[in-house]
Amino acid sequence: MTIHTRTLLETNTITMKQEFTLEIHSDNNFSVLNRIVNILNRRRIRIKKLVAHEVEGDFRMGVAVLLLFTTADMMEKVKHQLEKLIEVEYAIYYPGSDLYCELSAKHNEQVV
Amino acid sequence: MDALLTKTKTAVGAEAQPKQKITGSEVLLRSLVEEGADIIFGYPGGAIMPVYDALYHYADRLTHILVRHEQGAIHAAQGFARVSGKAGVVFATSGPGATNLVTGLADALIDSTPLVCITGQVFAHLLGTDAFQETDVVNTTIPVTKWNIQVTEAKDIAPAVARAFYIANTGRPGPVLVDITKNAQNEMIEEAEYNKCESIRTYKPKPVLQPAQVDAAAELINNAKRPYILAGQGVLLSEASKELIAFSEKTGIPVASTLLGLGAFPTDHPNYVGFLGMHGNYGPNLNTNECDVLIAVGMRFDDRVTGNVSKYAKQAKVVHLEIDKAEINKIIKADVAIHADAKEGLAALTAKCKANQHADWFASFKKLNDEEYEKVTRKEFFPASEKLTMAEVIHHLSNFTKGEAVVVTDVGQHQMTTSRYYQYKDPRTNVTSGGAGTMGFALPAAMGAKMGAPGKQVVAVIGDGGYQMTVQELGTIMQYKIPVKIIVLNNNFLGMVRQWQQLFHEKRYSFTEMQNPDFVMLAQAYSIPARKVEAREDLQGALKEMLDAETPFFLEVVVGKEDNVFPMVPAGAGVADVLLEAPKI
Repeated sequence: MTIHTRTLLETNTITMKQEFTLEIHSDNNFSVLNRIVNILNRRRIRIKKLVAHEVEGDFRMGVAVLLLFTTADMMEKVKHQLEKLIEVEYAIYYPGSDLYCELSAKHNEQVV
Repeated sequence: MDALLTKTKTAVGAEAQPKQKITGSEVLLRSLVEEGADIIFGYPGGAIMPVYDALYHYADRLTHILVRHEQGAIHAAQGFARVSGKAGVVFATSGPGATNLVTGLADALIDSTPLVCITGQVFAHLLGTDAFQETDVVNTTIPVTKWNIQVTEAKDIAPAVARAFYIANTGRPGPVLVDITKNAQNEMIEEAEYNKCESIRTYKPKPVLQPAQVDAAAELINNAKRPYILAGQGVLLSEASKELIAFSEKTGIPVASTLLGLGAFPTDHPNYVGFLGMHGNYGPNLNTNECDVLIAVGMRFDDRVTGNVSKYAKQAKVVHLEIDKAEINKIIKADVAIHADAKEGLAALTAKCKANQHADWFASFKKLNDEEYEKVTRKEFFPASEKLTMAEVIHHLSNFTKGEAVVVTDVGQHQMTTSRYYQYKDPRTNVTSGGAGTMGFALPAAMGAKMGAPGKQVVAVIGDGGYQMTVQELGTIMQYKIPVKIIVLNNNFLGMVRQWQQLFHEKRYSFTEMQNPDFVMLAQAYSIPARKVEAREDLQGALKEMLDAETPFFLEVVVGKEDNVFPMVPAGAGVADVLLEAPKI
């Protein structure tokens, strides 16, 4: 159960733009990356970095890691919109860029 | 048309030999039959000719309606889906055939209408070469479909169609598109048993109801003094009207409806308080900002409902029962979110909520709606002017049909007037273009609705502007003798835009006046009986003649040029700022 307090929305931490690392696990079909980017574009979310690849050992699955610049409120909304995509298994995000470096390095190692 | 609808279906494969080789086109048609799709709205062209060639041999199992424009096909399929609850099926060719579907796809996506659209595509080896009538349909339609896919091999057609129907019909319904290259349509493969799709690893359409969410909502509702239910189309889509009535009756909570929710709760039920939104009823809008618990069921807080969100129900605790998780907290923060199907969620809430009554709260709605009747409705039903009003036409239509017809509206003043005054009684009787606001929707949607509910009286109510956007579908109505009734409320203006120009742009009527053709002659050119009414004494007789006709019938009603729709929540204003009349300038 989630009980939200609406006043929370109005705090700076929610409305202030900052970096977020977004990790998306999905099927690796044609156009999946396009579908993901479409949702971010529609919300006019700035994509600072992006790495996407097949999962090693199973080309039918894929991972995308993105470094985004937006608000916490927007991140929560687009997470659910991304998870509405039929091919997306889940999307998870973290504040800051540290995890982007870690995740993109980890995923890069997988494809080497 | 009856003959078309009563064709006997032949069992699939009954006459076929095992391991027989068939074309990809035939695989497609067999898949459609297996999915129970018996009516297809379509238009042939080069890249889908193999499918149409196979269709020639499936006339005993699939009824194809040849429309006059692909946009007509998709709106017809929408009308069919909205009244029948089954996915509408559309065929179109590549390039412009497919791009002509885009408006309907966008409309169906925002209004949660299940569609399966099949488009032909150029040969796979020509993809990306700018071949004749090649358009990148998949990438063009990603933003306006729930899902889409391109198929380049015959073996992938049946699984794609199975997945398409599953996705279109489950969860929050929506349009899907399957783009099939011509080589896949021609390719011969061994016939195989058809397997319906029952799950997709990454897609979970039915959320699991969380009892803790229901308990939290019930606690709020049980302690509320002025609780208020907003019913959206989700109630209709989950077939939860009975559960909504039971919930409202047990808890004694008033129910208001969104535009697409009309029909989910009977308008003659004592707990029904009216229609929400920019041109909704006075009480339902004002009392949104007076309630203490707002219970939104299967609705998405469209801006036409909320007005300015910063002034929307700030005093209330919000309970949001919604199947689409992305809609929860998207516009209005929920104090308690119930992520569930409306039918299941309402039943659970009813069990947990105590029996109650809120007589004073109901009385406040009645007082406000009485005020609206005196200041707005009475003048529209019984105008001093000789000119007919849209409201009196709809008032008589509602009385003559006892609120039981399927009413299909387009977009604009006539749509808002119909939504205000038609007394909808039953689910799936209101068909309109809500979220997208697509002018040109109603005429083709009405013919699809008639195909989907052949036993129902189907009446299209359209403005003179929107009517001319898809008027070519009179040809389809003529050819298939679809007995749909068409009312054009003609004010020789793009009325809603004109209203805004009058109220907010100092009466600068910039390109909204229309010189119209002789609509009666136009209908008669398509062999459709037609009549025009200008005088009040002729209106009721003309409506009766139209409703009694066993054929299609066209009725033009000339209404006042400068009539406005009120109440109105002006753009940017809060719901409590709803106006009963034009502000004095």
